[in-house]
Amino acid sequence: MSDFRARGKGRVAVQLPPYAAGLIASLTRQLVELLSDGEVQETRSTDPLEAMLEVDTPRDRPEDPALRRLLPDAHRDDAEASAEFRRFTERSLRDSKVADAKTVLETLGLPGGEVGEADLEFELDRDQQRAWLRCLTDLRLTLAERLGVESGDEDTWAGLPDDDERRPVYEIYGWLGYLLESLIDVVKV
Amino acid sequence: MAAYATISRVTAAPDATTVERPDVDEVVQVELPWITLVWDDPVNLMSYVTFVFTDYFKYSKTKASRLMMQVHTEGRAVVSTGNREEMERDVQAMHAYGLWATLQKSDA
Repeated sequence: MSDFRARGKGRVAVQLPPYAAGLIASLTRQLVELLSDGEVQETRSTDPLEAMLEVDTPRDRPEDPALRRLLPDAHRDDAEASAEFRRFTERSLRDSKVADAKTVLETLGLPGGEVGEADLEFELDRDQQRAWLRCLTDLRLTLAERLGVESGDEDTWAGLPDDDERRPVYEIYGWLGYLLESLIDVVKV
Repeated sequence: MAAYATISRVTAAPDATTVERPDVDEVVQVELPWITLVWDDPVNLMSYVTFVFTDYFKYSKTKASRLMMQVHTEGRAVVSTGNREEMERDVQAMHAYGLWATLQKSDA
């Protein structure tokens, strides 16, 4: 099964069964919620000079481990410098991840989250391909954090009993990896 | 780093059509005081990490694969050097791609 195919002019054709499209959309909407969590939706100043000078208040690293993985510290051994970096960049990093997620949702084109009977077919341009790659990665990072995935633990996950509640989540995680891999295969750098 | 189904890309023949940038290691100590490090993580695919290095830094496939392997085997790699502002930009870009990156002074 190939979900992504290279087309002319660097475009990529996507074909997804309804359940797959619905699952991606659902996970992506949850990701948007996670990224918006705890954010103050204040209106930005309309004065251009004020807007230019506007920076966030100092902020701590997120408490949620998944958010901390999506928005990691920029300095390994310098908490102060990391906090300062967050102050100037975390909002725009969150915004760019949300923008990627919204591109995925828009290209899926499921108004109201409705999934029909037929496969979804659409094309992605260069920027949309990158938004998909980054968003699929963010979804994998989030699920891996929730599951507690570690290096070299594939056998543990493969050996989960059928009734283990983590099993379907790990299968989705694996499937997202397959999707990502097959999209990378057809994206032109 | 998750390795499945991606090894063939790493061992592919060097791409002779692409001119390599100077090796990072040769430049670090001389004049550029800040570096961007990418750290190994259990989630990101080898193919994806290589893709990010070619897509964002415009490194050749050969160099991107080498840096990816360094992250994978040594736990980290210096992926760019420059002034602090440039490294902050690179780190933020890596975070946008979902890679785990930090910046520091090159002598730290």
